[in-house]
Amino acid sequence: MASQKIISIILLVLSTIAILACLVINCDAWIVYTVAIFGIPTWVLSLGLLTMAKPAPEDAEERIKEPFTGY
Amino acid sequence: MNLMAEILIQVVIAFLAGSLLLGLHRKVMARVQKRPGPPIIQHLIHSLKFFFKETAFPKTVSKVFYIGITFILALIWIVGVIAGPVAHDSLLILFGVYAVYKIVEHNSGSSSGSPYGKLSCVRAVLSAATELPLFAAIVFVYLVTGTMDIGEIIAYQSVHGPLFFSIPLAAVMFFMLIITKSPYSPFAITKDKVLISGFETEHFGLLRGFMHFSESIAWYVMLWVFLTIFFGPLNAVGYLIGMIVITFITGFINATTPIFSPNHSVMTQITIGAICFFGTVVMIFSGVVA
Repeated sequence: MASQKIISIILLVLSTIAILACLVINCDAWIVYTVAIFGIPTWVLSLGLLTMAKPAPEDAEERIKEPFTGY
Repeated sequence: MNLMAEILIQVVIAFLAGSLLLGLHRKVMARVQKRPGPPIIQHLIHSLKFFFKETAFPKTVSKVFYIGITFILALIWIVGVIAGPVAHDSLLILFGVYAVYKIVEHNSGSSSGSPYGKLSCVRAVLSAATELPLFAAIVFVYLVTGTMDIGEIIAYQSVHGPLFFSIPLAAVMFFMLIITKSPYSPFAITKDKVLISGFETEHFGLLRGFMHFSESIAWYVMLWVFLTIFFGPLNAVGYLIGMIVITFITGFINATTPIFSPNHSVMTQITIGAICFFGTVVMIFSGVVA
């Protein structure tokens, strides 16, 4: 979980910087498209990985063992 | 305007408008079925709420694949926003986006380790039948306008009038794709309730919210493309009215139609597609279409 958090923070920072750079600097269209296509989903996913609630330690094993529950 | 700013604005519009339209879709379905239904804003609230819900990754999943496929789903519909509303680029890119969407349905199911997801994954292969009418519709648009470029198709329509009136059966084929992708569609065999939530069954919490984000954008992009290539050129009010009307129509159809079994779904789609295909061919070669 700790490594997941670190990776999420790194990806969030990188995608934010890349998007802001394209907002501030007038880059070539292909660079902006590439940053948008990869940067926006990365930003949303990494933010979500940080905001999502984690199961309590005593419930963690039960949660991952109990698939097919839908929501 | 700065290109990145334009893309971000269009993505936010697509997400918000798509979410509200999907909320409206549920409301229409509920009213037709004499239920009060959830508020129109409910789909948007759900999408945001899931980002804060408790999320765990089941032991049975292929984790990189399981998370990666939701990333790909978002990625392809961002491409859809760029190729459509932002750049007015080629229809072939949007056809490619839709083709990859089928792959996402397939692999989302197979990555989950859930029997429901895997069955949905098999059905995703069958439901690829919807791509044939879509491809035929795009070919007819090309035959009439001589271009695949959305900007040039809009320019063609501003001179010759909306394509809906010259190749209506091609529009019907495209509309069938929209019905197929609408929630609770009679053709939604990959999300049949027999399979719980189909290929999305094991994607809950954050990942479900992320998929809702992508599907809201997908709904907006599909409606935008349909309105643009068959009713263009339109202004913002025209798009808004068109999207609401299509959402009403699909909501009404889905509320009054049960989900077909996979073989009936595929045969119905192919039959409607074939009738529209040959009808359009006859119209073109008999000179009805200029």
